[in-house]
Amino acid sequence: MSKNSIQLENISVTYPNGHHALTGVTASIEAGSICGLVGVNGAGKSTLFKAIMGFVKPSTGRVTISGMAVKQALKQNLVCYVPQTEEVDWNFPVLVEDVVMMGRYGHMGFLRHPSKADHEAVTAALERTNMTEFRKRQIGELSGGQKKRVFVARALAQGGQIILLDEPFTGIDIKTEDALIILFRSLAAEGRLILVSTHNLGSVPSFCDDVMLINRTLLAHGPVETVFTQENLVKAFGGMLRHHQLVGADLHDDEDKRSITVLSDDERPLVFYGETGGQKITKHGNKE
Amino acid sequence: MEFLLEPFTYSYMVKAIWVSALVGATCAFLSSYLMLKGWSLMGDALAHAIIPGVALAYLLGLPYAAGAFFAGILAALSMNIVKRKTRLREDTVIGLVFTTFFAIGLLLVSINPTSVNIQGIILGNILAISNEDALQVVIISFICLLVLVLKWRDLMAVFFDENHARALGLSVQPLQILFFTLLSAATVAALQTVGACLVIAMVVTPGATAYILTDRFNRLIVIAVLLGSITSAVGAYTSFFLNANPGGLIVTLQTLLFIAAFFFAPRHGLWAKHRATKMILKGNSHG
Repeated sequence: MSKNSIQLENISVTYPNGHHALTGVTASIEAGSICGLVGVNGAGKSTLFKAIMGFVKPSTGRVTISGMAVKQALKQNLVCYVPQTEEVDWNFPVLVEDVVMMGRYGHMGFLRHPSKADHEAVTAALERTNMTEFRKRQIGELSGGQKKRVFVARALAQGGQIILLDEPFTGIDIKTEDALIILFRSLAAEGRLILVSTHNLGSVPSFCDDVMLINRTLLAHGPVETVFTQENLVKAFGGMLRHHQLVGADLHDDEDKRSITVLSDDERPLVFYGETGGQKITKHGNKE
Repeated sequence: MEFLLEPFTYSYMVKAIWVSALVGATCAFLSSYLMLKGWSLMGDALAHAIIPGVALAYLLGLPYAAGAFFAGILAALSMNIVKRKTRLREDTVIGLVFTTFFAIGLLLVSINPTSVNIQGIILGNILAISNEDALQVVIISFICLLVLVLKWRDLMAVFFDENHARALGLSVQPLQILFFTLLSAATVAALQTVGACLVIAMVVTPGATAYILTDRFNRLIVIAVLLGSITSAVGAYTSFFLNANPGGLIVTLQTLLFIAAFFFAPRHGLWAKHRATKMILKGNSHG
């Protein structure tokens, strides 16, 4: 089997109502890294996810996953999807372990009767996400971070090599966020490909290796250090960001030319510090 | 004792009891899914939408189930299309489509007054069901139950998280169509036992009661099916003594059980919640 990867060749998506969600996206994402998919709401992040999972058919272009067509990759359980918290019906009468077991359905026969291997995979996934003690809870009884972890556990149980996470850090505290980042890092280190859509700018430098900036099309793609610059972000977000710059007398008593630029939407701010307001990215921002 | 066994000496009563139980079980199984999506009114809509199909089937001398089934599917499809192609809300679409179908049904019946006993369709009477009709109902119910028992997990995955089901490689749309096909078929069957007006209760109440009683979907199905079949059988049986409409009895029994669960369910009942709150308050005052 070839190395896990996602190849996007000139992907355009136009919805039936005529809305051009994405135009001409070409990119290659490789395994072993965490790639952040960054853009404003409506920039086409979800559409790109849908195209990768084959839910929407691109009007032009082709998606290849690990050298296979999307459909074939799905059949082999290569692709896992971790939904946004708001997309899930938390009143659904299922326990944590039932949800994780659903990740195994693709491995089961016609009747979806779980085998010993399936039960073991569920137990292992629960352990890895620290959810073992909650396995008998109804999903609505969990905290925000635990809710996220259930669906990460489901992805692990599924055994997919490509994990798509939709806004995983919305509505959780910093401690849980850090724990999730450590988990994602270790998953990537094992050779999985992790694609995370987020509009939470501040957390991107602290856990992404690569970043794709999109706004209806791919604006920039590459390592965080080179692509995640103030210039590119302003291009991607336009006027959608809060922009604070501390410079000159506000910041220094002497003739130092360096300034601090803080970019934020509503989440963790992104801080630039340097002479032109943007060479160095500080790795840790703070929530207000 | 002899008095209590008396219904079983009449073949029409025996038939009514077990056919009701079978239909009750099928509808209850479907109710477990239906109420989770806010689609409860779909059952009602389908039951009414079926009327023109039944009228046409009688008119053309076809088996009524075929006509009903066809009309049901047609209604479900038109609801789907109207919903996707407009920005109207789901309840509006359901209301619009089912009243249209019901109106056409009434129109057809009024033009050919002798052809159909509309009263029989709207109120239903399992006690008077003919052998051919009973056979149709039994076949429909068996097929529905068989498909549900085989595919309940797939349907659960689709109802819980469509995107994930798709990512797993499940055929989401065919499964959804399958579900609505089963629902239409079960509605046709239930029409005979409780009538068009009360079908809604058969495909909502057992699931709703079970939902209060458990947090696991597999148990929810088992509880709902037990409730559905037992209430239906008991309702048909009791109607013999009360000389009452069996449909009304069945639904009343189901509602009584719902009320019991509402108050006395072990975790989600009113009483349990009240006790839990009292425990916390007590704990606080001591601590």
